[in-house]
Amino acid sequence: MKKKPGSQAQLKQKVLEQDLCTGCGACIGLCPYQVTHQDRTVQLFDCDLEEGKCFAFCPRTPADYQKIRNILYDSEDITPEIGVVKGYFLTRAADKRLRARAQHGGTVTALLELAMSEGLISSSIISSWNEDQHIEGKVVENKDCLRDFAKSRFMASPTIAAFNRFKGAYMHKTGIVATPCQALSLAKMKTSEFAGIPNTVFPVLVIGLFCGWTLARDRFENLLEKYGFGIKEIQGMDVPAGKKNLELASERGQVDIPMVEVETCVRAACRYCIDSTAEFADLSVGAARFGKDSEEMRCWNQVVVRSELGKVLMDMAFNKGVLEFRDVPAQALRNLKNAAAEKKKNALKKIIEKSGSAKNLLYLKSDDPVIKYYLQSQRKRKGIS
Amino acid sequence: MTKLLSPANENVLFLGNEAIARGALEAGLAVASGYPGTPSSEVIEALASVARKRNLYVEWSVNEKVALEVAAAASFAELRSMAVMKQNGVNVASDFLLHLTASGTRGGLVLVSCEDPGALSSVNEGESRYFARMLEMPLLEPADFQEAKDLTKWAFELSEQIGNVVMLRSVTRMSHASGNVICGKLPVRSRRAKFEYGGAVMDSQTGPMISTPVVAKHLLHQQRLKVIEELFERSSFNRYIGPAKPDLLILTSSACFLYAKEALEMLHLQKRVGILKLGTTWPLPPKLLKTHLQKTQQILIVEEVMPFLEEQVKVLASGMSPHVGRKTFFGKYDGALPSAGELNPDIVAGAIGAILKVKRKILSKSYLSEIKKATEMIPVREQTFCAGCPHRASFWNIHTAIALDGREGFVCGDIGCYSMAALSPATGYHTMPTLHSMGSGTGLACGFAKLSQFDFHKPVLTVCGDSTFYHAVIPALINAQHNRADITFIVLDNAGTAMTGFQPHPGLKVSALREAVPPVDIVSICQAIGVQVAVSDPFDLSATSKILTSFLAERGSVKALILRQACALSPEKKGKKPYTMQVNEELCLGDACGCNRLCTRIFRCPALTWNQSRKKAMVDEVICAGCGVCASICPQQAIVKYNGT
Repeated sequence: MKKKPGSQAQLKQKVLEQDLCTGCGACIGLCPYQVTHQDRTVQLFDCDLEEGKCFAFCPRTPADYQKIRNILYDSEDITPEIGVVKGYFLTRAADKRLRARAQHGGTVTALLELAMSEGLISSSIISSWNEDQHIEGKVVENKDCLRDFAKSRFMASPTIAAFNRFKGAYMHKTGIVATPCQALSLAKMKTSEFAGIPNTVFPVLVIGLFCGWTLARDRFENLLEKYGFGIKEIQGMDVPAGKKNLELASERGQVDIPMVEVETCVRAACRYCIDSTAEFADLSVGAARFGKDSEEMRCWNQVVVRSELGKVLMDMAFNKGVLEFRDVPAQALRNLKNAAAEKKKNALKKIIEKSGSAKNLLYLKSDDPVIKYYLQSQRKRKGIS
Repeated sequence: MTKLLSPANENVLFLGNEAIARGALEAGLAVASGYPGTPSSEVIEALASVARKRNLYVEWSVNEKVALEVAAAASFAELRSMAVMKQNGVNVASDFLLHLTASGTRGGLVLVSCEDPGALSSVNEGESRYFARMLEMPLLEPADFQEAKDLTKWAFELSEQIGNVVMLRSVTRMSHASGNVICGKLPVRSRRAKFEYGGAVMDSQTGPMISTPVVAKHLLHQQRLKVIEELFERSSFNRYIGPAKPDLLILTSSACFLYAKEALEMLHLQKRVGILKLGTTWPLPPKLLKTHLQKTQQILIVEEVMPFLEEQVKVLASGMSPHVGRKTFFGKYDGALPSAGELNPDIVAGAIGAILKVKRKILSKSYLSEIKKATEMIPVREQTFCAGCPHRASFWNIHTAIALDGREGFVCGDIGCYSMAALSPATGYHTMPTLHSMGSGTGLACGFAKLSQFDFHKPVLTVCGDSTFYHAVIPALINAQHNRADITFIVLDNAGTAMTGFQPHPGLKVSALREAVPPVDIVSICQAIGVQVAVSDPFDLSATSKILTSFLAERGSVKALILRQACALSPEKKGKKPYTMQVNEELCLGDACGCNRLCTRIFRCPALTWNQSRKKAMVDEVICAGCGVCASICPQQAIVKYNGT
């Protein structure tokens, strides 16, 4: 009788070998069997456990998303395009100096600083460069250091591994900046039935990031070499709205790399991702888009508040004057929803291309209401009733 | 006084190898050389222990070829000498041996080959008896311990009679078993060395020691062998036991004689079956053979491993068939006996029983079922590295570096304790897919590393031990450097020739005779060859891991890593425990997700055991060597290291 493949083997067959691994780090730091090395998830030894956390927490293994939504959020706020919307704002950090050092409006850093000074959380887990010039998660317990880690890097950081390794994580309240896949992994942990992980009341503040893609480090490094840049020289990166370039800021000045070239460096897994707004976070932050590209728009963020905790934090930010709030143009939320819906449809299309059948959605469940909604619209588009 | 120097007529219990050593001493041996190899090593060890008393020169040479050359020099200087090795060694020495039998010798020179049918402690069960036939060397095979001594002594006389090498062949069951031996006299006077070479070229006793003119000397050698053949016809080492007209004649030699004897006792066929025990197995004395072939119709040849005797007997028998008539031969060709592996009394009894259609009394059904029940209780014992073995840590590091590198790198293996990495995932963690002879790992690595033009891009690594390095690896390493082979070359330096019993080698400061000698430094040799060299302690997992990871990432050159840590059983470590190890059960996750028994299921040090009832790991303090490595691998830091005992 053939033994059913255990969690680790399934993780390998269904995620790692299928180019679905997003490099989120959820399967790392739980045990000695998986580690991350130079932007790759490596399985060091064979674990034969039938049910392990690695498979359970991986954002690319099947899960009941509706159940997770119902546990973590108020159901009346759910939208099919961008998940739960309890509130939608355009904000930026009130502190000009912070804005200068951060990405767009500096909202994420401002919120973390606030959460730490108000005792909502006692540490933050963010991403940073390590001594081997790779990006990984880091626990910051001194809020004054947070500004050192501001700015986007557009490369996957296995930040959840730092969370897994942080022994205090389940006891002390910690905040974590998460990409959509990472937010999903944390949501799976919060709602899991594994022993030792307290469910529902999971003392983690998850600040999600809007995300369209991440870059595979080795390919990106080669591309940068072409432009005469070393990866450590990058001080900031941005893809301004409507522009077809990736703008790189460094000590030597700014360099524009055509998006066409950058697209060849995108991580394969990103093409199969349906979540561009971190639907499973407490609140999600991205670059503002309220009209044509302008100097002004560049220093604002759009924020989607999702959970009760997210609302508490935003209210605190408003009351303490840590964030500036702007009037939201009527079209802004609609534009965001449209863009997100496009990503969902494209991803589903790619998934079906890969699996060869609409019945096999790889890691997604076709009976999930959101998936069903977009599958139907797919069929309608193709003229199939 | 050591038993090896017992007085004449004393009845002493000797290991087979000790009996061989005694025989050599009684022959007035002056020089002995060899390379450690199971089951031969005790011959040199025994001689080394009495070297001072008996004015012997005894040496562990760097390999068997050099060992034979050293012994040959002594023989050219008119001294009696002996070269000792296992079956592999004869292959290593064979190039020189070919030329030595062609040039001839002076003082008696005996080549002792201790072989390993069934590969009990080898990775081959090669036969060196064919060298005797190929190179036309007289071959002697002792069948018991008395013969081990007596044949060795006689071998020196025979060698001097023909001025050429004589080979003595033993097997594990002879070399490593013990039996009673009645000692002979030890000579009082020893010879003086002298080397003359001004005489005629065809005179190997006074002329130059060269193999030319080749054909003329070859013919001369063959002529001299006729004398040997005559001696063999009359030798008491070939003897017959059994009825005058046996229903079946068994032809046998070596330990197989004892199996055949026991088989006849098991079948109660001593009155029907005769045994011709041959002690001189090349050249086979044809007249003796004829006499015995005439007695019977059926002949069973019992030998290990190859049909060496069987083929010779059949060739001679077909030549003398007008005189002896047609015979029926049983042996390996017809499948009566297995064509590979070791024999034993049961197998031989089975063959005899089938030929004579005699049923053996076998064990009763109830007894057999009791045996079956008992075997189910026997715990699985896998071959593994000792507790505290540096190789376990080295392979842990190598496996991790290969996994992180992600290009399916692999290790070409070599000979030593670390060979076990090829045998089991518990020791090698799936890293070592090739294993051949001494030094071949580096050679193979050179080959694999040059296949990138054929689309082969897996990183190539190789390991070798410190003794192996001196034996055969240096030329291959030079080859790697000269031919730009991109390999990661790892020397597992555990300060001794461990697998065979901790004999010294050139890296140590002491020789076979316990004299202080300057060590030959591996690092300096690697540097002189021009490769990049790093040194690390394999017990320091993180430091070693860093070096290996960076070596694997570095392409286009030879990178040498010397992993230095003494063997757990080395004299300097034995009995000492640097740390006391203990599992903190509160921290131990056991088989839960997060660990799933990493230490007992994957790392597999024999001192780490799994407590089934408490579901926790445990340190067996009796087995634990206190090396401390397991503390570094536990994800919970549940294995604690305390200084001292």
